[in-house]
Amino acid sequence: MADLFKVHINFATSQLIFPTIIACVLAVLGIAIAITHRHRIAGAGAHWRAIAGRMDKMRFFGAIGLTLVYFSTMQPVGNLWPNTGMGFLLTSIPFVFLCGVLFLHDRRPGNMIGLTVAALVAPTLVWWVFADLFFLTLP
Amino acid sequence: MNFTRRTLLATAGAALATRPLGALAAGKLPRNVRLVIGSKSTGGDTYQNSAIVADALAKELDINIKVDAVGATQAFKALERDSRGTTMMIFHDQSYLGWLYGRTGYVDPFKTYAIGPTVAINPGNAYLVAKNSPYKTMGDVFKAAADGKRIRVAIQPGGVSEIGFSAMKNAAKVMHPGSEKNLVAVNTGSQSDKNQALWDDLADVINGSIQANEQFTQLDASDKKAMRFIWITARQKTLEQAPEKGMGKTTRDDLLKYASPETSVTLDGKKDFTFDKEFFFMFNKKMDPAIIETVNQGLAAVFKKGEIQKRQKAAFFIPNYLPTDQALAHLKDKADTYAKVIKDIRS
Amino acid sequence: MDLLSFVTPLFLTLIVSGTVIGIVFGSIPGLTATMAVAVCLPLTYSLGLNNGLGLLLGLYVGGISGGLVPAILLGIPGTPSSITTTFDGYPMAKRGEGERALRIGIVSSVVGGLISLAVLVLFAPLLADFAIDFSYVEKFLIILFALTVMAALSKDMLLGIFSGVLGIFISLIGTYDVSNGGNGKERLIPPGTEYWLQDGFSLLPVLIGLFGLAAILEEAELGVPKGQSMKDIKVGAHSRFSFSVFGGQIVNLVRSSLIGTFVGILPGVGGSAASILSYTNAKTFSRHPERFGKGEPAGIIASESGNNGLTGGALVPLLSLGIPGDSTTALLIGAFTLQGVQVGPLFISGNTETWNAMIVAMLIANVAMFVVMYLAIRWLALAVTIPKHILFPIILMMCVIGAYTINYGIMFDVWTLLIFGIGGWLMGKVGLEVAPFIIGFILGPSAEVYFVKTLESFGTLTIFFTKSWIAVVLWLLIAGSVATSVWMSRRHRRLDEG
Repeated sequence: MADLFKVHINFATSQLIFPTIIACVLAVLGIAIAITHRHRIAGAGAHWRAIAGRMDKMRFFGAIGLTLVYFSTMQPVGNLWPNTGMGFLLTSIPFVFLCGVLFLHDRRPGNMIGLTVAALVAPTLVWWVFADLFFLTLP
Repeated sequence: MNFTRRTLLATAGAALATRPLGALAAGKLPRNVRLVIGSKSTGGDTYQNSAIVADALAKELDINIKVDAVGATQAFKALERDSRGTTMMIFHDQSYLGWLYGRTGYVDPFKTYAIGPTVAINPGNAYLVAKNSPYKTMGDVFKAAADGKRIRVAIQPGGVSEIGFSAMKNAAKVMHPGSEKNLVAVNTGSQSDKNQALWDDLADVINGSIQANEQFTQLDASDKKAMRFIWITARQKTLEQAPEKGMGKTTRDDLLKYASPETSVTLDGKKDFTFDKEFFFMFNKKMDPAIIETVNQGLAAVFKKGEIQKRQKAAFFIPNYLPTDQALAHLKDKADTYAKVIKDIRS
Repeated sequence: MDLLSFVTPLFLTLIVSGTVIGIVFGSIPGLTATMAVAVCLPLTYSLGLNNGLGLLLGLYVGGISGGLVPAILLGIPGTPSSITTTFDGYPMAKRGEGERALRIGIVSSVVGGLISLAVLVLFAPLLADFAIDFSYVEKFLIILFALTVMAALSKDMLLGIFSGVLGIFISLIGTYDVSNGGNGKERLIPPGTEYWLQDGFSLLPVLIGLFGLAAILEEAELGVPKGQSMKDIKVGAHSRFSFSVFGGQIVNLVRSSLIGTFVGILPGVGGSAASILSYTNAKTFSRHPERFGKGEPAGIIASESGNNGLTGGALVPLLSLGIPGDSTTALLIGAFTLQGVQVGPLFISGNTETWNAMIVAMLIANVAMFVVMYLAIRWLALAVTIPKHILFPIILMMCVIGAYTINYGIMFDVWTLLIFGIGGWLMGKVGLEVAPFIIGFILGPSAEVYFVKTLESFGTLTIFFTKSWIAVVLWLLIAGSVATSVWMSRRHRRLDEG
């Protein structure tokens, strides 16, 4: 009887044991969901159309696009001045500014000035504290 | 018109300002250097040792050096990406042991990177048993293995923690061929896991260190946690440089009893096996040799002044500066010896 | 008076400034207590041991506590250990009870910190001996118990558990970590991504992606509406805070503090598990488990006293075994060795002055944390009044700093932030739940190691039940937690149908 519960683990392949178990549990749960929630799954098309209809596409995709550009320029810019955190500073200022403009509804000069100041001060302050004072590595 | 000229001037100014930082004169060390290390812990020995070295070297060469604990695989990647001399690495014997043991993420460091000077030794690598264990010495362990008893040794596989275990198997094989099969590895992770394996009676011998385990050896045998050193892998001449008062309540003379020649784990029946964990620089293979030479000279000057040795000794490191060429020959020789040990016990 | 000779004005100043810096680090999403300690560690060499420890312990206590501020006000956990604070804190803030929630959190934090400190002072060596009775088996069961909170947190049980298991699955991507006892081999890495995914995804960028970036994307999707601006989360508007909220919660408060302390004592269980476990317990034993997750003060109490309970607890194994209880205390070892001080079972008896200095520093840090945060509530709340078009880009920028620096400069961690930001947004759309997902992600790697190591060492499945009385108690707790969740979901369904 006790033999029934005996297991032998081969250390060399033990990296696969737990992922296999979890994958099986995941599959079982997935099937259960497919069965119990089949109506919702069938209505997925309408669900997504509704989301797309309501969505503020410019702000949503604009934010993702800006973030993509921000992340992908950070390191190349930083490489011009290695290990100074300049990549972070020089890309964060335009990012905070542009992202702010994107999110801003009322783009009157008054609001824009506030945003410009924030876009200049916040990254510079953060860069000074982390790269200079705490001596952390930034891109 | 005015506007364009100003723009032009600004661009030119920016370009000029970039030059001294961006484009480097040949052989000139960059002003801002990133020193990546093969460990992810900023509380561990690699970080401490690297911080001490970086501190002294930065002052000597008048540059900024940041130590980043990114871990072995990421450090190797960072080193491969950057040949300008702005990224350097400090690591220890794990860099070639990982490769010899076939760990993922490790390549032959002698082929892939330029090996730089060595800077320090951590002499602490040790093996311990429970205080009430029937095995009091390495001799007892080898005898028991020869008598067919199974001895479980807790290690972290694939590197510095395993090499001593491989040496034990090798010695067992040299002395009583076949008995090495009775030495079996219990694969664990951190020091805490290894200690726990001993307390849970999942291991008879554990890998540990002088620094982390010495206090456990001072406990009374009635305490479940009490341990006993049975082997310190360091060379005699390394331990002899340790502070005379040793570590905690264990003096240097006490420590020497657990190391070769008093405690012998043979390499080939004639010489004893020893292992010192040595920290050394590594560089990108394509990096300007003049920069490497600058670092080498800088370190030579630092060690000549003699201040760094005090800091290293206070943190239980043994100062160990070897210039680039000697370091390479020494490490290569070491790696060849261990490669043979690992090969022999596998065949 | 010789006893307290280390208490100098410098010592006090360092503790208090450490606490303040720690609070700032903790309250900025992406920056953690561990990072605060890491950046200040080099300073301690010149300060000497006692003063250096004062600074670091201040940072530790402040950093763990500061996390509750963004958790409550913005729904973004400032540190991984304040995840469970968002579950009830943020709904309260949205109801206009932000200030009340902050006060509850701060009071719970200081109580948790002080209780765990008392435990540390009185029982440190004793508890360390108890902690080493926990082998792989018991540690696995503790993790399993913490995982049962996934079910309790889910709105839709099936989808919630699926999300949690998915979190575990994704946490396993990468290498079976050698330093945790794995064999160093890779698994679950999609072909072609080995270069980046060798080490898997890091927790912090995943966390701030799911909670920070995803929330910002959701706002962007709605066009960053001005109408329901965060200004409307009036921090102190309707609800008066009074200590009477703790009236029926003394048991919860003490229990959560002790759970947090105990999790700290167990090496290798992980800091974030402290608040998750206290939260699970509070919900299991509550008379109104259905209120949890909707703005129940008891949830904040459990979470915050739990994570501050960790602070004293994590020092127990450090000072009586030389083994760190969590990632922050692991750095303290560095501070000791830098000064040539050995930590281990003889530390307390051999270094009485340092031991006293640490206790005093922890005490002062807790008091300072309480005073500073309590006085600063009004200003903390100001963060919420910053217009969203400025706040969001800046939060994103801070998240980048946090992600990039968590592993000392890895660009992939920044991309992880984006991947999980978009992933978190998508999850919300298809009905998967973020809370159970992140809990699965946090606990997955430990669950794996302890499960596989148990079988590797003992070779039988029955050991999970027969190892010790501790295992039996843990099974009872697991059963209790599961039963509560099932019972609640049944009642929900009946209510829905009725």
